Amino acid sequence: MSSYHVVVIGGGGTGAAIIHDLRLRGIEATLVERGELTSGTTGRHHGQLHCGARYAVKDRAIARECMEETYILKRIAAESLEANYGLFVALTEEDEEHAPVFIQSCVESGIPTKEVPVEHALEMEPNLNPEIKRAIMVPDGTIDAWRLPLQFFATAKHNGARVHTFTPVTGFTYSGSNISGVQVYDLKTRQERTIKADLVINATGAWAGQVTKMADVEIPITPGPGTMVAVKKRLNNMVISRLHPVGDGDIIVPQRGLSIIGTTQYKTDDPDDIAVPEDDITEMYRCADMLIPSFSSRKYHAAWIAARPLAGAASSVDDARNLSRDFNVVDHGELDGPDGLLSVIGGKATVLRAMAEQTVDAVCAKFGVTETCRTAETPLLAHRAYFA
Amino acid sequence: MSHKTITFSVSRSNIDEAGQERNRRRQEFSLEVNDRMTVLDALEVIRRDQDQSLMYRHSCHHGSCGTCGMIINGERKLACLTAAAALEVDTIELQPLRTMNPLGDLAVDPTPLFADYPDGATYIRRSEVHAEGRKPFEVDHWERFEDCIECGLCVSSCPVTESFIGPAALAAHNRELINRPERRTELLEAVNTERGAWPCARALNCSRVCPTGVYPAKHIAELRKKIEQDGMAPAAEPGEKRAR
Repeated sequence: MSSYHVVVIGGGGTGAAIIHDLRLRGIEATLVERGELTSGTTGRHHGQLHCGARYAVKDRAIARECMEETYILKRIAAESLEANYGLFVALTEEDEEHAPVFIQSCVESGIPTKEVPVEHALEMEPNLNPEIKRAIMVPDGTIDAWRLPLQFFATAKHNGARVHTFTPVTGFTYSGSNISGVQVYDLKTRQERTIKADLVINATGAWAGQVTKMADVEIPITPGPGTMVAVKKRLNNMVISRLHPVGDGDIIVPQRGLSIIGTTQYKTDDPDDIAVPEDDITEMYRCADMLIPSFSSRKYHAAWIAARPLAGAASSVDDARNLSRDFNVVDHGELDGPDGLLSVIGGKATVLRAMAEQTVDAVCAKFGVTETCRTAETPLLAHRAYFA
Repeated sequence: MSHKTITFSVSRSNIDEAGQERNRRRQEFSLEVNDRMTVLDALEVIRRDQDQSLMYRHSCHHGSCGTCGMIINGERKLACLTAAAALEVDTIELQPLRTMNPLGDLAVDPTPLFADYPDGATYIRRSEVHAEGRKPFEVDHWERFEDCIECGLCVSSCPVTESFIGPAALAAHNRELINRPERRTELLEAVNTERGAWPCARALNCSRVCPTGVYPAKHIAELRKKIEQDGMAPAAEPGEKRAR
């Protein structure tokens, strides 16, 4: 066991997986979150377990990683997944022409696909648009966006990690020019305190830039909000995606008794300053009806918006969809920043465990800890164990 | 889309080192809302623009995580599914769920809710949607998450004052029994206790406030029936008989 202590800022999926990995490798871990767990982006995400098919045409590496992580999550966290596959459907002749490159890209990314006759697809999913021209099954699914991270939190806590919610970070403490901990304000007790750390990890996703600003460091992160609309009725069991180049409103994720269409993608500076544009709702209904014609006639349930953490500076692209869904770990000490601070930049819910593995690998390399990652083989405790 | 200014009268407090609520008071925030804004949307704007120390729980913003349950003008509701303007009042009073451990303001720690849940209960059930239709590959059935989102509104609304494991844990027992019939005897024995299935007086508040249609009262009635079917001696008299 090492005697190193790491403080993780950010109680989303990434932070959850990081403190779990840290504890499995014998490193002391404390996580601080300004509000409730997963109250930033994680909890609000569309809920799709991405096997990678959506990304395969554009980026085989991301697609392959999504597939590998899907298999792993099914092994370690099955209770937080509706593992019902996904169905990509072609609506137009242009969509049909996209099928060969889609299938080839999936094959090259290690994603199993199975084309099913249209008639068979309509039997499995009777609410689908009867005019679909092709249908291809992939191993997508649905994530419970609250309970999956909670399984990581529960296991980490059981293994000795400390988790402090409603505890925003107000600044860093320094030893010379190196970061030596964080200053926090516990909203619950209205008390300030300092938490010493051998290393601080900034796992705040779309808020990562705001956190590094407290250490006078700028990082290339762009909050990319997107709108989702849910109706009151489970219309499908598989995740229904449109078979075409990635665009807006082309995925319907079923979840419990709901169907959720998403999403859009914007760029913004402040991830706290996001609201659903009214036009988005009309547009999401229009897109959903192309896949499942009865969608918009169902009772409205909710509309919400979540800020993806897009890796890259907003100024570098016109269309937010051109910003990467990949992630990387930045050691600020190796750039121009202070030593003792790592930031996780970018990423997506499905690959939370892989993000943690790469981050904690970097932590271990810094500390000279030789423990290898065991999270892929370690089943997680039930989400309710967090409250035990 | 129309706009309206609403006063949000919010219960504020903090806790001491022992977890006891301190300095409870009310604070009013004024905010212009549109037709679609929920109470949670309003709290998000109030926290961002008026008071960053305001505590409330939230995660999914669409009634799936169960974290934002609170008492809204006296009624137990999820803040994320309650449109503020649709309440048709000028002042909306917000209080935390008192059946959970206070964390300050509107935030609570839901640990008490889970105290009597069955060990190892699954959260996955068979999907009833297109259940009869063709399945892919070797798939035997479609699956989905349980309806219960563990928000605790049912427990908070229950009028039973004696020691009672409550509607959420009881519904969870019956759901687990349905998902895993092989656990039947063990589960029925666990709820055939003085504080198990019997204190319920059938006020039905739980089924009325449930945001996902679990109908806990129905599950409690089913558990009682199953206890009798299996020839177990009821551990207590039903609450509604005692209430008369």
